[in-house]
Amino acid sequence: MKKVLVLVLLVIVGYFLTDTFNLIPFGENRIGNPQDEETVAGYYLNNTAEKTSVANTVTAIVVNYRGFDTLGEVTVLFLATTGLGSILFRRKEDEEEIERINKPSSSLMQTGSRVLFPLIALLGIYVFIHGHLTPGGGFQGGAIIATGFLLMLISYKNFKAGHTMLNWVESIAGITFVTIGLWGLLTGGTFLENTLPAGELNNLISGGVIPIIYIAVGFKVAAELTGVLDILLNIKPKK
Amino acid sequence: MQDFEQYNSIITTGVYGSAIALILIGLYAVLIKKHLIKIVIGLSIIDAGVHLLFVAIGYIKGGTAPIFSPGNEDAAQQMVDPVPQALVLTAIVIGFAVTAVALSLVIRLYKHHNTARIDQIKSLKW
Amino acid sequence: MVISPVHYIAVPLLAAFTIPLLSKYIHKELARIVPGIVLLYSVFVSIVLMMQVSEVGVISEKIAGWSAPWGINLVFSPFSGFLASLMSVVGFLIWLYSYNFKKIEQEQSQKYHILQMMMVTGAIGIVLTGDIFNLFVFMEITAITAYSLTSFYRERDGAEAGFKYLLIGSFASVMILLAVMILYTQLGTLNMAEIAQKSHLMPTSIKATVLVLFLIGFGIEAEMFPLNGWAPDAYSQAPGPIGAAFAGIVVKAGVYALIRVIFTLFDIHGAYDFLIYGGLITMIIAETAAVAQTNLKRMLAYSSIGQMGFVLIAFGIGTKTAIVGALFLMFNHAVIKSLLFMSGSYLTYNSVSKKISALAGLGKKLPIVSILFGLGAFAIVGLPPFSGFWSKLYVLTAAADQNMLLLIMAILAVSVIEIIYYFRVVSTLYYGKQEEEIEVQKPSINAMVSMLVLGATIIVVGVYPDIVTNFFDSAADMLLDKASYIQAVLTQNIN
Repeated sequence: MKKVLVLVLLVIVGYFLTDTFNLIPFGENRIGNPQDEETVAGYYLNNTAEKTSVANTVTAIVVNYRGFDTLGEVTVLFLATTGLGSILFRRKEDEEEIERINKPSSSLMQTGSRVLFPLIALLGIYVFIHGHLTPGGGFQGGAIIATGFLLMLISYKNFKAGHTMLNWVESIAGITFVTIGLWGLLTGGTFLENTLPAGELNNLISGGVIPIIYIAVGFKVAAELTGVLDILLNIKPKK
Repeated sequence: MQDFEQYNSIITTGVYGSAIALILIGLYAVLIKKHLIKIVIGLSIIDAGVHLLFVAIGYIKGGTAPIFSPGNEDAAQQMVDPVPQALVLTAIVIGFAVTAVALSLVIRLYKHHNTARIDQIKSLKW
Repeated sequence: MVISPVHYIAVPLLAAFTIPLLSKYIHKELARIVPGIVLLYSVFVSIVLMMQVSEVGVISEKIAGWSAPWGINLVFSPFSGFLASLMSVVGFLIWLYSYNFKKIEQEQSQKYHILQMMMVTGAIGIVLTGDIFNLFVFMEITAITAYSLTSFYRERDGAEAGFKYLLIGSFASVMILLAVMILYTQLGTLNMAEIAQKSHLMPTSIKATVLVLFLIGFGIEAEMFPLNGWAPDAYSQAPGPIGAAFAGIVVKAGVYALIRVIFTLFDIHGAYDFLIYGGLITMIIAETAAVAQTNLKRMLAYSSIGQMGFVLIAFGIGTKTAIVGALFLMFNHAVIKSLLFMSGSYLTYNSVSKKISALAGLGKKLPIVSILFGLGAFAIVGLPPFSGFWSKLYVLTAAADQNMLLLIMAILAVSVIEIIYYFRVVSTLYYGKQEEEIEVQKPSINAMVSMLVLGATIIVVGVYPDIVTNFFDSAADMLLDKASYIQAVLTQNIN
């Protein structure tokens, strides 16, 4: 009975969504002529190269135009880690030997992940350092590094991603981001303003504070994702 | 370009349809399934569908990635909309954070009640 | 450095990132003290900005150096600024109350204080932002802290209440994200002032769809019926001060978002009627359910939902008197409900069942707390000379002006119901016979100070309502005048 009701609900929701999205043609040029600058996107596409000297428009939007959203998002990650810590808190009496639940993995996996891990970390660091020039950026690079850590966590029973180091990286990166923002405020501009010179397009050092913020974000995201994975993988089942 | 017109409705249906299908599958999982982890997975699938939908509406026919690589500097006319991509980036991370909190709650519930099925954990009135 | 609205957000964020390091390497107590200093700073910022806004009108600040609509902006108007100030003051008082709350274990208190500070900050962000996607992000900040804080205690059913809250809250986020998405395809902008300006360009069917999605999404946060199933469990399972925070801060942010969408973004006239009906149904069902409750916190939760229904009715009536009444109601509800949750928490401290019957006779053992609870109860049902009386009077006057007799009768009937269940608690406090021998926990000095401040506010505002109503007048004017909001944001853009 409940299943039938739910299926009816799904049909209604599906119909409602399809109907609405039929009115939104796929691929239609909604920016209009970017020279017109009527929509926000047109303005971004036209002016990013000159004003911020950042080649990747998405990066410019995420870090500069809508940097406040990124700050909020980084905060969400931080709060998720804190919330995780508070929900899964274990008192000292319950503290047992931290042991992973899984079986040891094959030697192929163990050797392979030991070889791959530095390469994956390197790729991640490359992605977020070049976030303003090529597709990618802080979040993508951080996720790549965290995947490398996950590989190590799965392959080795005793691999511990040092919590102290993770906490330091996380805090320093977060403080960097907010400090850059406050620096903009202190030097008479607005919060998160781009206070460093923009430089030339397509150089590694260009875009003012944008690469710096994105590098900080990359480290923070990597540290936080790894922290979450580490906490979740270290739960001992109740006896 | 006439071939593209012919297939346009198929592509539209394909992209929008698969995103909506994901949302419906996720909704089904959240509403019907009894195991808590399956419910969390359903939530994750709904998120995936919504994000896919969001990126899809940013597509512009014949457009290319909004990156001004060397040699491509005047191509603002032919780029796709960069704003939905930026927004989805934020939304994906937020979805991840919520999933992490959800899973930690599932772990807590399992430890407390020794079961992960929602029909056996109903101490509070619905 | 000029004090600007971004201080509300930037300073708490800096503190949140720094506290883990500070508490580990410098001193453990810092984890509990720093959030208090930060919240006190927020109160200071509120005072400065409120004085500024009474001269200037609206303060719109751009972030990252790009003016709206290409960047994000924060708008401190009489309406949003009033809410932000209220939230910072209540947030500070809740910090003061829970500074050494004995039920929170020492090692957990760092996380508790960070989460509580960020919940207040997230709610302030919701009311201050001028960009609809930014509103979504701040809503998620508030939501994640709320989920974690609901499940804070191990001994109760917190995890279940938290999980239910999480499922329903995520559903709200999905609705809002879909609405933002569809809105963006039609108008190409995310700035609320520009959306308000261009909203007539959208075809009506799509406008209706977006409005419905927003109403469902924000209705869940504002605890409208039938979307409030998560609320009684969350309020009752959360720690006492967090229940106060939910009632006093989080739900206000949800109501603000709902009102902003209806009044400023869309301005469809059918929506006002919807607010009245929705609010009426919410109020009637919630208050009736409150009578049947035996658990004190659940009763307070249902009462809170009912009050929010009342606020929605007041906004729905839409005349200036009604909106002044609505703002006054929001102010009163934040102050009174927080006081009720705070005192209720001490009254049921050591009782396992948290039932009302367990309060029997505590009037003698915890005299001041009981008096404060009684004060809150009298104020919230609207007895003169307390502040609750004036707010109800404003709304009833507005309804009378519009000849809405049935509405007046419904409101009065519901007030009678409120009197029944609140007085039941008060009489149990003073006249009940004690069944279980419970040891009472005397509240600490700081908790007492918070509660006394709230109680004093109730009395002072009750006797001199003009202190606040003058201000609400200008806020109401601002809210009703969509054009001035648009103009202030898009052209002013001061740093």
